[in-house]
Amino acid sequence: MISSIGIVFSWISFSLLVILFFNKKKYYTEILVRINLFIQIFLFCLLEVGLFLNDFSVSYIANYSAKSTPPLYKFASLWGSLDGSILLWNLCLSLFMYLYLKLYKNTSSDLDIKIFSLIMIFFVGYTVFSSSPFAGCIELAAIGCSNSTILPFQELVTSSIGRGPNPLLQNHPLMAIHPPMLYVGYVGMTMPFVAATGRLYSKQGRSNDWVEVAEKTTYIPWLFLTIGITLGAAWSYEVLGWGGYWAWDPVENVSFIPWLLATAFLHSAKIQKSQNTLLNWNYILVGLMFLSTIFGTFITRSGVLISVHAFSNGNIGTYLLFGMLLFSLIFIVIGSKNIDYFSKSKKIDNWFGKSGFFVYNNIFLFSAALVVFIGTIFPLIYETLYDRQITIGRSYYDVIVGPLLLILLGLMIFSIKLPIKNLNFKKWTDENNNLINSSLILSVFILLYLNNSYVLVVTVAISVLLIVLTFKNFYKNFRGQKTNISYWTGQIAHLGIAIFSLGIILNVSQSYSTEKEINSFEEFSFNNQTYFVYDSIEESLPEKNVIKLPISNQSTTKFTSLNIFKNSSQQAISSPAVFRTFLNDIYITVKFIDENSYKLIVRNNYGIFIMWIGLFISSISFLPRLKKYEK
Amino acid sequence: MKNKFLTFVLLISLTALPSIFPDNESRYEQWSKSLLCPVCQGETVFDSPSEYADDMGAILLEQINNGLTDDEIYNFWVSRYGERIITNPINRNLEILLIPLLIISVFIFMFVRKLYAKK
Repeated sequence: MISSIGIVFSWISFSLLVILFFNKKKYYTEILVRINLFIQIFLFCLLEVGLFLNDFSVSYIANYSAKSTPPLYKFASLWGSLDGSILLWNLCLSLFMYLYLKLYKNTSSDLDIKIFSLIMIFFVGYTVFSSSPFAGCIELAAIGCSNSTILPFQELVTSSIGRGPNPLLQNHPLMAIHPPMLYVGYVGMTMPFVAATGRLYSKQGRSNDWVEVAEKTTYIPWLFLTIGITLGAAWSYEVLGWGGYWAWDPVENVSFIPWLLATAFLHSAKIQKSQNTLLNWNYILVGLMFLSTIFGTFITRSGVLISVHAFSNGNIGTYLLFGMLLFSLIFIVIGSKNIDYFSKSKKIDNWFGKSGFFVYNNIFLFSAALVVFIGTIFPLIYETLYDRQITIGRSYYDVIVGPLLLILLGLMIFSIKLPIKNLNFKKWTDENNNLINSSLILSVFILLYLNNSYVLVVTVAISVLLIVLTFKNFYKNFRGQKTNISYWTGQIAHLGIAIFSLGIILNVSQSYSTEKEINSFEEFSFNNQTYFVYDSIEESLPEKNVIKLPISNQSTTKFTSLNIFKNSSQQAISSPAVFRTFLNDIYITVKFIDENSYKLIVRNNYGIFIMWIGLFISSISFLPRLKKYEK
Repeated sequence: MKNKFLTFVLLISLTALPSIFPDNESRYEQWSKSLLCPVCQGETVFDSPSEYADDMGAILLEQINNGLTDDEIYNFWVSRYGERIITNPINRNLEILLIPLLIISVFIFMFVRKLYAKK
């Protein structure tokens, strides 16, 4: 039943979008956009209802949910695999289409909504023609469903228990938040794309209003992408016991690329508005932001790469490639129609003034995006061309992206007060001499306690200087000048990044680990602290078995555990016990050898809490900007 | 003037720090960070808490204690698992480093040239 209703309504949504695409009357546009949003919300709820009713005649539910799955993870199963996540994707798209129309009703042309609906036709089309989350099951597998149909009103078979979601995805409530945040970030990048292409086409570039709208519509996706990436890092570190928060995994990379591009755009849009330069560059950035999100989905979903996050499924790869081609074509055609407009873009006169520094920012952010992109597709190229399988690991990114990010950190120091004309460096150092000296002294003090390397020394010195100068700036000017929201939110974001950099460099350079073989009721010491290990506790839940090992230092007791999921061939998942202080985490994961002997991996991870603080500051710095939508 | 001198002294002492308090990463740590655990979804032997990585780590430790050279260790792992087990291939395949650097340089050159105002 649910299967048929879902398929029928997907068709209705698809047809409405096609009508919307050809429709010429503004009045109908608004109605159609609303109905479409309503249908997408309905489809979302319908699949949720199916998940909670355990309707295993729907293939997706039989394969990615189970009777024993706890309610929260049943809810989150909707985006636990490909077809369902496209449903969430469509819901986000229709929400943004509604929002865009509402905010820019008076200024947007027909073409904005036409391009929007075309993009939506593309994604809804996937659920209609290729693979639907509502597909009914027509052939059972041992557990779950092995064959399904995308036609409504078929004779369906029902699996008895359901296969359940991927164990990684039902280990912690963060799973319910991290992916939707990223989706909102990804899908939101459609708005600037629509603003740029639609407006440039209809006005033939008679004004810069497209960049203004594109910039404002980047705020929401930027914010959510930042939060989504941060939550992903937190999830992998705090919950999954992987010990790391960022692995340069291909799928992490493809979420980082749009972030880098969007960050670059947020800066260069400012320069276009005030100096009327970088017109063509901004257009390219907006296009790449959008295309990189589709590329990201392609990498994740097509199965071309092996990764933690990849779940491949049939033909979506080709489908997405086709989409990328189609949207690139639209982008290029509209761009080429505006060559005259782009040629009005001003050149840069003051390479050490405001526009110069913003150009450097763009150069390095874009280079970083380029390097991450190359690193992600390198293994693919090697395999196709030379039939060699290689892995591009951390060292590649450390060597190339590291210095680029360090340069960016250095540039932020000058962003505090940038003159339009060239900066006088001698005057600048004279003015700030006392603060430079005090931050250098502070850096020397910090570094005296650490194992040093040149990268560490440079990073600490630059971050400390940036933090000190930013604080002085807050202290002196915050009340003084008329509060300029975008300037001050930018400064707070930079402060967050400086703190984050300190944390990450401490983590990378100072952490170490050791292994301890130990029995129940014994103690071990690590980093001048004694830890006592109790006996393990076994718990049996409907969906998993958990073996917990309580460990205590003098003041608190924490658990490290191993989660073994039923109905799953996947590896067991270990969760860490984390004893946190401001400077370092004692991070313990366990391997069970037998009944009461264990092997503990004990890490001393520096700087994690500082990193989280920095990321938190950067993320929330953007909240005040959202208020700007109101006008 | 005094201040400038202080700045200079501080900069010198900062550059001296790495040689006074060096970072000693053990050979085992270096190697375990550059070996991929083949069953662990993209984690290195150093990062992974799995049994498999544990066994690999034990073999690696033995190799290092027996004083095998880097080449010997490299050949041992690559002959068994293929090239993809090495996560830092840039040491032996310099082009992996040079190609992106070349592409960035071309990008920066073109970008700046486009924006440079002729006087």
